Amino acid sequence: MNPGRRAFLGRALVAGTASALYGCTDARRWEREAVRQTPRSRVAILPASTYDESLVDVVLRGLQLFRLPLVGKRVVLKPNLVEHDPNGLVNTHPALVAAAIEAFRRVGAQQVIVAEGPGHYRDTEDLLTATGLHAILREHRTRYVDLNNDDVRAVRMGSHYTTLQRLYLPETLLDADLLVSMPKLKTHHWAGVTLALKNMFGCIPGAIYGWPKNVLHWAGIHESIVDINSTLQIPRFAIVDAIVGMEGNGPIQGEARRCGALVFGDDLVAVDATAARLMTVDPRRIRYLAEAGRFLGNVAEERVEQIGDTIDRLRQDFRVLPQFQPLKSFA
Amino acid sequence: MISLAPLITSQNRDGGWGSQPGRVSSTEITALATLALGRLDTPDARLSAADGVRWLSDRQHDDGGWPVSARVSDATWATSLAVLALDALGGGPDAAVRGARWLLRRTPRRPGFAMSLLNRLAPEAASVRLNWDLKGWPWVEECAAFVEPTCYAVLALKRLRRHLPGAGATERIHEAEGMVYDRMCVDGGWNYGNSVVLGAQLAPYADVTAIALLALAEHRARDANQRSLRVLRAMLDRVDSGLALAWSVLCLSAYGEDVTPLRARLLAGYARTAFLGETKVLALALLALSGGAETFQT
Repeated sequence: MNPGRRAFLGRALVAGTASALYGCTDARRWEREAVRQTPRSRVAILPASTYDESLVDVVLRGLQLFRLPLVGKRVVLKPNLVEHDPNGLVNTHPALVAAAIEAFRRVGAQQVIVAEGPGHYRDTEDLLTATGLHAILREHRTRYVDLNNDDVRAVRMGSHYTTLQRLYLPETLLDADLLVSMPKLKTHHWAGVTLALKNMFGCIPGAIYGWPKNVLHWAGIHESIVDINSTLQIPRFAIVDAIVGMEGNGPIQGEARRCGALVFGDDLVAVDATAARLMTVDPRRIRYLAEAGRFLGNVAEERVEQIGDTIDRLRQDFRVLPQFQPLKSFA
Repeated sequence: MISLAPLITSQNRDGGWGSQPGRVSSTEITALATLALGRLDTPDARLSAADGVRWLSDRQHDDGGWPVSARVSDATWATSLAVLALDALGGGPDAAVRGARWLLRRTPRRPGFAMSLLNRLAPEAASVRLNWDLKGWPWVEECAAFVEPTCYAVLALKRLRRHLPGAGATERIHEAEGMVYDRMCVDGGWNYGNSVVLGAQLAPYADVTAIALLALAEHRARDANQRSLRVLRAMLDRVDSGLALAWSVLCLSAYGEDVTPLRARLLAGYARTAFLGETKVLALALLALSGGAETFQT
């Protein structure tokens, strides 16, 4: 068989498999208590051009727009830390984490913890040192928890897109008053995009699910994203690092794409939908977002009130891998 | 030398160790802490190691495997480390052999029909470049094999194979070594287990490279080993973490290299960061500094 014919058959097979896997899902697959959708959501896009001290003010403004009850609360910041990256494109920028620590403290949080469970890399000390986060944690006297090795409790599934019967979740998260997802705005070679909801993969402990968390890959990435987010039933907020994002072959090997903003919101589905629109990606075509938009939050533009800057002013035409071209909204 | 006190005082009342002081006892951490203390000839270390052996012995499932921790029921990858610890410290040969037999019964998940067909008909269209026919070990049941759990299983079975005549241990080790070589990064070294994804090369990690080289130490003369040793040394120019240095001391000692400078860096690193309070890294560092490479040699 010549290579062209084999490649064609391969693509046909992939397309057929995808069609079977990505079929319609009309049935309700979530528990009643997992529903978080409200009639309307608010998402703020605030301009931020550089990773410097001025970020604290931007984050403070973002928090004030949502009037979160933070006094005396325990806040867990969950950045996206993957592995050493000399170009500073892969991980949530440490300057933003520093700004968030400072801002949450200023608005009254009693305890701010930074926590992450990297999906591939077990060397926490190297990851923190190489990303510059270790110095920031020291400077701000902030505790870091490796969620891969935290103590866990078994939690009943909030939805049933996968066949998982329960999730073991880190106690640091389950005991938090607020979990703040802090992803970097990136394309993703399996999911299309990786934003506040996909960032929650890092809440799944590697000691139980492995590195990578291969259980979730077999269970289906889109399905797992929805199930994890419906099962993490603690108050959540999102701050997306969209100052410099990643386009192309993300989440590790893509290229820089400047967007110049931070995106804030307490409906993570609406935050992701807005962030996707900033990338010129149609959120309704991202399968996990389409499903999450049925019960976890709002995707539809008419149900998301944009505050701060506008999508139109900051939108960038993020390059995606060819297989994700159909996700592009205005391509 | 690093003081033993932090490791001994972080031992839980049940005899095990958690990932940080005060956390629930974990099989991985308890096995490594027990291995480290078992090499140290002080009364405190001996007592502490004996409690660790008891913790491990008590947590073994009837089928021979070990769970990750007391809070998780399923037996997993941590079984290999428990086998190594009990074999080294005399927790009873039966327990270690039963653990090794459990490992021999475990196979990784293989791709479904569609993916298998795609790999055979159009490998260039496959998203990851690997040979699914070579069996290693997964982290968790019903998952694909990855480098680190496979290397732990190879190390454990190499120690135990003398007790497993006719059980297929040698064949399984050979196949798993082939799987580890198959997953090697393009220029040498290893990461979690993918060398090329969607046509792009992925970078190796220092800790996993050291673990893989340790598991493949019998083949030290091979070009792949030598290339990966060079890659590891180059990575150590940048990486200065306790985990990477401890595994590298254990690995490079097994290859007969002078590890004096790495030992010094390990000590300096502990003084600087206390390895962020990670019990596993402290245990590995003590193991590395006490000549623990022989624990993994056959």
